[in-house]
Amino acid sequence: MRDLVNTTVDVTRPADFDDFWAAGLAACPPLDPVLTEMPTLSTERVRVYDVSYVSYGGLRVSAWYAVPRSDGPYPGLITIPGYISEPTIPKEWAELGYAALAVAPRGKLRSNAVFDPGYPGLLTHNIVDHHTYGYRGFYLDVVRAVDVLLGRPEADSDRIGLAGSSQGGGLGISTAALRPEVIKAVACGAPYLCGIMTAPTLTRSYPYEEINEYLRLHPRDVDRVRETVAYYDGLNFAPAVQAPTMIYLGLEDDVCPPETGFALHRALPGEKTLHTYPNCAHHAGLPGVLRVVEEFLADHLKPGS
Amino acid sequence: MDFDAYWRAVDDELATVAARPVLDPVPARTTAEATSFAVRLTSIGPYRIYGSLSIPTGEGPFPALLQVPRYGSVNNMAHVNDRSRYVVLTLMHRGQRLADDGFQAAYPGLLTLGIDDPATYIYRAIVADCLRAAEFLIGLAEADPARVAVAGNELAVLTAARRTGITAARVSDLVLYRAMEARLRSSHYPLEELNDYLRAGSSAAVIGRTLDYFDPIRHAPSVTAKTLVAVEDADWYAPLVNALPAGEAYQVTHLDGTDADYYDAWLAERCGVPALSKFIR
Repeated sequence: MRDLVNTTVDVTRPADFDDFWAAGLAACPPLDPVLTEMPTLSTERVRVYDVSYVSYGGLRVSAWYAVPRSDGPYPGLITIPGYISEPTIPKEWAELGYAALAVAPRGKLRSNAVFDPGYPGLLTHNIVDHHTYGYRGFYLDVVRAVDVLLGRPEADSDRIGLAGSSQGGGLGISTAALRPEVIKAVACGAPYLCGIMTAPTLTRSYPYEEINEYLRLHPRDVDRVRETVAYYDGLNFAPAVQAPTMIYLGLEDDVCPPETGFALHRALPGEKTLHTYPNCAHHAGLPGVLRVVEEFLADHLKPGS
Repeated sequence: MDFDAYWRAVDDELATVAARPVLDPVPARTTAEATSFAVRLTSIGPYRIYGSLSIPTGEGPFPALLQVPRYGSVNNMAHVNDRSRYVVLTLMHRGQRLADDGFQAAYPGLLTLGIDDPATYIYRAIVADCLRAAEFLIGLAEADPARVAVAGNELAVLTAARRTGITAARVSDLVLYRAMEARLRSSHYPLEELNDYLRAGSSAAVIGRTLDYFDPIRHAPSVTAKTLVAVEDADWYAPLVNALPAGEAYQVTHLDGTDADYYDAWLAERCGVPALSKFIR
């Protein structure tokens, strides 16, 4: 019988972890955001923009931006997609009063002209080298989305939050850690990319199964894989997160093992709340938990104020 | 409405196109439980589509399972639990990842591509892709023709309706069921694509006419397979369940671990294999 709550998930923190990410951020070229209003995608209540900006390596990344038509300023919210999901236009968040940016990090359909590792593929792309690992730019693309919001006059720079589940939850943690002075709330569902080497030993579901497949073909690479993913593990980012963080977990999650979610909760040093859902898998309480997420974000980001 | 003629024409067109399958072994996905292959087939167009095929280890024949594509750019590979029990074919329809040489589906965008005319609507070709995949799977020597299942959204219903030999269908996450009504229930995608498209100037009557060809309720009477439909709102889905000759509803609990185990056990029972949970206890 698994001990979901107390299982130790060990991840070694590289000595140069902070320097590695600082160097990545410093290497990003000017943002050069381009916003194009999309009247046919807009509604009576929400104005929609097609957005692009420059990120790590000079690659241009796409996003959808949805803003209320009522008077601002609005709290900003970045929604981060799951591993196999494409970002949808976040109209529902704009209807709730947020300036909402749904980012499509590199490799997603609207950002894959230059980098396209495919699915399956992203999780193991250059996984033996932390400098060129496919997720390096992907992580930084989300951080750069924060900079896009900071540059928008209608978005209140003192009220910026992050929301996502699975990969979106994992990258909520890394982004909050890399922008601790900016991010004021993180809603993190079924977090992926936490305990990256432990998770594939607890499940046979994708995407973690990609690591099992990689190691099946390249068993001698296991140490180099472990070394690489340590730079990307949410458990190593967690101590730097300052924003109040809400985590929600399905206690029968076969995709992101609950043990890794509990480990993330333990690793967060600040204000945090944990919601667990028995008999739930990777949906982690959906759809009912959405109302809890909305309330959490509203408490901290104050839409409508 | 020329419903029957429309779909006969799809079948006729597909029949003129040789599938020309190519199977490439996938060592990384080959385990003690099953051997995996990448499969490429020709569908109408002509267009090469992609499938991930796995064949269980041991003496066959085995029950066969076609996993039709979800609405989205990526489909996960079949879980090892399924690979160990079924000959599984996971299809990527045209435009999805791994089947996107020459055409990349847009999200949002796919749902309304060519929708002003039933003859040009992208789902005409997507359904053909599913039918081609079903033909290929049913024709495999390792597949037991008495135990052929299809799982997925409305594409599972349409496939089961148009290909004999499918004995079980497991249906969930419907997009095209009563779509012109459902689009008014929220601003959530993918159905919001229909509202966006109408805002751009198209006519509800025009796209409603096209969608009528693809609504699973129109195909349901032709489905002979035992069919499980996962329903959130039983009243909303009752017309579909009632139109299926061997249909039954499963009331979704939103305890998705419980729901997943039920879906698995339902299909396993119909295919004569043991039920398995993806969550390792």
